[in-house]
Amino acid sequence: MGKNDKYTGRCGETLDLSTLDRDERELVAELVRFADAHPDARTAEYWNFYPKRVGKFYEARGLSRSETTRTLVWQIAQDINGRLMVAAGLAKDSKDYREELDAIIREKYGSRRRFCELTGISEDRLSHVLAKRKHLSIQALSDALAKIGYTIQITQLPDISPPSQTS
Amino acid sequence: MVQDPLLECSFLIPIRRDSNLSDGEEHEPDMWDWLSTELFDRLCGATAAPGTYQGFYEDPDTHERVTDESYKYIVAVPASRLVELRQLLSAACVVFQQKCIYLSIAGRVEFVEPP
Repeated sequence: MGKNDKYTGRCGETLDLSTLDRDERELVAELVRFADAHPDARTAEYWNFYPKRVGKFYEARGLSRSETTRTLVWQIAQDINGRLMVAAGLAKDSKDYREELDAIIREKYGSRRRFCELTGISEDRLSHVLAKRKHLSIQALSDALAKIGYTIQITQLPDISPPSQTS
Repeated sequence: MVQDPLLECSFLIPIRRDSNLSDGEEHEPDMWDWLSTELFDRLCGATAAPGTYQGFYEDPDTHERVTDESYKYIVAVPASRLVELRQLLSAACVVFQQKCIYLSIAGRVEFVEPP
């Protein structure tokens, strides 16, 4: 989990716990302990535990369920669940765009040099990017992809609204 | 007289995307997070059955036998809110890249399709 004031997410991101009060931090610690004691995602024990536990905690504080799902603790609880599912082979983290770029280069161009000639990205810069030491800006990535007939796509999850009440 | 009885509903979410619609790979954890959040927020929760469920069916388009492995969820829903559950599962077809999702409502089975 990392230091007391930090939580390290499944994908390496750092979440600041300093905004949480003592009881919330203890709840996070409790979630981590439960996951450690029930690490097999196939049993669904953690999945069945965290919504009720986090929901009860924030219900006592007057939060709605919707508000509860927007808390940092809920985010961490889900990250823990994701970690368990990936470990059990029941889920897979999405590819970093750099892995997709690497796959395109290998499958379509055969060499990084050819890709760089077409896109204008220097080989040195590309090497750093594919080694995940650096990122391309969205603009640079977009411009490069456009030169080879690709584009970046943002996809939204569907939003479900409850049906409107009829008399 | 019981008004708006609670009905036991269960549904199956395959752990992999449909291989004809998509790539047949495991879902990202974000997809499961979305489902958990929706179940918690809109339907006050659900229970995940332990283990996964192996199954097979005939693909309606290719007529090939397809095997899958699914998580099973159980939720008690008032009869008046079944439409919300169907809406959720219809959206889940898109999120989880499925042609349809198996839904059992008090023992009667439906196959919910995408919107």
